[in-house]
Amino acid sequence: MSVARPQDIACRELVEILTEFLDGALDEHSRTQVEQHLVLCSGCAEYLRQFRATIGVTRRLSEQDLPEQMKESLLDAFRHWRHGS
Amino acid sequence: MPSATGDTGAEQPMRAWKFLGVGRVAPFGGHTWPAPGAAGPGAWVRFPGREVFACRPDDLPWWIGPELWEIELEGPIRALETQVAASAGRLVRQVHGWDAATLRAFGVACAERARNLAVEALGRDGRVEEAESLARARSMLELSRVARDCAGDARTRLSANLAGYVAESSMRASQGLAAAAANIAANAAVLAHGDPAVFSRARSWQARWIAEHAGLDLLPAAAV
Repeated sequence: MSVARPQDIACRELVEILTEFLDGALDEHSRTQVEQHLVLCSGCAEYLRQFRATIGVTRRLSEQDLPEQMKESLLDAFRHWRHGS
Repeated sequence: MPSATGDTGAEQPMRAWKFLGVGRVAPFGGHTWPAPGAAGPGAWVRFPGREVFACRPDDLPWWIGPELWEIELEGPIRALETQVAASAGRLVRQVHGWDAATLRAFGVACAERARNLAVEALGRDGRVEEAESLARARSMLELSRVARDCAGDARTRLSANLAGYVAESSMRASQGLAAAAANIAANAAVLAHGDPAVFSRARSWQARWIAEHAGLDLLPAAAV
């Protein structure tokens, strides 16, 4: 089978679609592009590893695990983010 | 068992290969594949709403990783451009001929292919001394340094670019980043020949290198 050169995606593009990649929401072409980039780019592969580790840790957290002060500052950050400030 | 080549839509089990991280960890999914035991292959792996992916021999250079496994795929099987997709798969055996040393040697072999192209290009430009210094470089680090100097000094666009590719490929090879070294080397071949179709031929050469040095047990129909 003759295979064309891949159109590699940039690291910045990968970061933008990584959540969709992890959710299995990308189409086959985009998913393959992400995976081929991850094979070639050790920096992005490490980013994926850290992203997965973060998901794994936060999945084990419950609302009760958060100190009240941290909960407030998180809510505050979300409120500001929603208002675009 | 049918070979893994050209079996579009095969309903029968198929033998193929799969690169995994150390400890049989899937490079993208992060899960660990069940190991084969004395009694036979590992447990079947299937994911709800998702397929299992593996390599035909020609696909191998696209998916380089630390461990290489022979895998049995369960039909129906789809042939994609650089891999095959199946409803389920199970590990049959590890290819012990592919280890850290082979992985590193693969990157070096690819960078050296790119070096040969640059040496020829520099020679054609009458830059014999630089061509010779590139040819003489003993290590990947030295090759990267010399190639970078040639890239900076080259008078023609082609040899400058080729030397730049050699610098990058050999640098990646020196770091053990064989997949990147191989990809850059394949792109150097395209540049040297001015033909995008050369990329596929360069990848085929890389696939043959892997098969030969890892000692893949290829069925005749799956030969690369």
